[in-house]
Amino acid sequence: MASGSFRLTRRWAAFALVAPPLLVFLVFFVVPLVSLFWVSFHAPSQSELYGPELTLEHYATILTDPFYHTIILRTLSTGAVILALCLVLGYATAYVLAPLPPRKRLLLLLLLVVPLMVSNVVRAYGWIAILGRQGLVNAVLRDTGLIERPLLLLNSFEAVSFGLMTIMLPYMVISVANALASIDAQYKEAAQSLRADPVRTFIHVTWPLSSPGVASGMLLVFLLTLSAYVTITLLGGPRMKLLVSLVFDSVGSFRWPLAAAISFALLVMALIVSGLIMALLRPQRVQGRG
Amino acid sequence: MHIILLLLAGLTYLLVLGPILIVLVTAFTPTDFFVFPPPGFSLRWFELFFNTESLRGAFTRSIQIAIVSSLVATLLGTMAALFVARRKGWTASLLQTLFLAPLIFPAIVFGLSLLLFFKLIGGMPEFLGLVIAHAILGMPFVIRAVSSSLLAVDPVLEEASQSLKAGPFRTFGLVTFPLIWPGILSGGLFAFILSFGELNTALFLTGPGVTTLPIEIFSYLQFQGGQLVIAAASAVQVGMIAIVVLVMERLVGLGRVVRSK
Repeated sequence: MASGSFRLTRRWAAFALVAPPLLVFLVFFVVPLVSLFWVSFHAPSQSELYGPELTLEHYATILTDPFYHTIILRTLSTGAVILALCLVLGYATAYVLAPLPPRKRLLLLLLLVVPLMVSNVVRAYGWIAILGRQGLVNAVLRDTGLIERPLLLLNSFEAVSFGLMTIMLPYMVISVANALASIDAQYKEAAQSLRADPVRTFIHVTWPLSSPGVASGMLLVFLLTLSAYVTITLLGGPRMKLLVSLVFDSVGSFRWPLAAAISFALLVMALIVSGLIMALLRPQRVQGRG
Repeated sequence: MHIILLLLAGLTYLLVLGPILIVLVTAFTPTDFFVFPPPGFSLRWFELFFNTESLRGAFTRSIQIAIVSSLVATLLGTMAALFVARRKGWTASLLQTLFLAPLIFPAIVFGLSLLLFFKLIGGMPEFLGLVIAHAILGMPFVIRAVSSSLLAVDPVLEEASQSLKAGPFRTFGLVTFPLIWPGILSGGLFAFILSFGELNTALFLTGPGVTTLPIEIFSYLQFQGGQLVIAAASAVQVGMIAIVVLVMERLVGLGRVVRSK
């Protein structure tokens, strides 16, 4: 009897504990998303946020209009370039960091974590200060007499991919370094005692065991890339648009239902690419080992 | 092979740290335009930054929003973590997925949905809207930091307290809290940092006259070009973060700073 009422108060206490955060999430995260989804199926309206009639026209436009195809393709290829560069640079860096003594590794990781805390607008500005018309590279080239007119290094596909890559790179290093550091050294020793050379040890032991870190790094990099409107606008200029720029442009011209539909196209793209990354790397096979 | 790996690692550090270092150097330039190497050292751009009404206003507003939203995130995130951290079963894992969703959910879509929602319910003051958005974005970091602290606490300690007839509040105050406060603090400080630099929801939720520092920097860069006062504004942003990271390192240690990312 006594223990029964004790359990009852504990259950109520637990419920009272989770109710406020849950309520905030439902009201300000779930409900807004559901209403965005709802609005995406409505006709535009001159005076209201959306018109009364239901329609699929926005989704049809995104799927059939060649303009959207170009933008979607460009978004995907930017993402692919960023992922490939992040994988090479990030994995190599993590591979160098992982065997270091913990204190040293922590300090070197901290040097990459702090830039993640700096606002992306500041980090994009850093690239403008380096590559811009009046930037470091042009100033040095001009002063040494190598060029007369400044080189145009920004406002291109390359500038956006490269700049975004450097902004996302620390996520990759951190995820992979954590995965590498948690691999039991006995696995490598076992492979070596079976006379596997370093390349075979890497392909059959280290790479598969680090795949959860690689997968989570790649997911994070790609998903954050999709949202990086400010970086894309600053480094790519007004003509280098990606899918996220179109969300913004539609809001700017008060076409709320179209903006909503493009947002969900963006989410579908995020899901498909995440699924592809998981299918290629199969991180789930590591669980249950080690 | 080893040389190539070292070179790639060096390149990583150069590409990640280089742009931030250039901004810091540029901010102290005495000339009207950036000249390399800088001919001297001056604080004139910082002076201009603090004398420019719009920039100073954005800076103080950013700090206010970061303080209020990180306090809300800390409170709600700790409550959520106390519930989900030790529970098994589908409710707990469903809630955990929901609470951690903002970590990977495209923030631009979240920002748009909030703006639309605020318009549908008849409006929301910009300051409050930004606090709500940043609190939700900061909560997952608090939940992760507090959960990892909670999992290190032996439940026997709390059971002992309860068997001595301490209620849930006294048990929390006398037993659990003293053991998990470093997690709460590091999660809260991270929520502060996140709010202070946040762009994607702020793009939608700021309004004319009510902007945050990152958005103000963005509109300067977009519409007035890279004036050097923006280098000073950026250096102020980096300086604030350096201070918070130092506080964090002092109070809770280096490991937590790295892990709470």
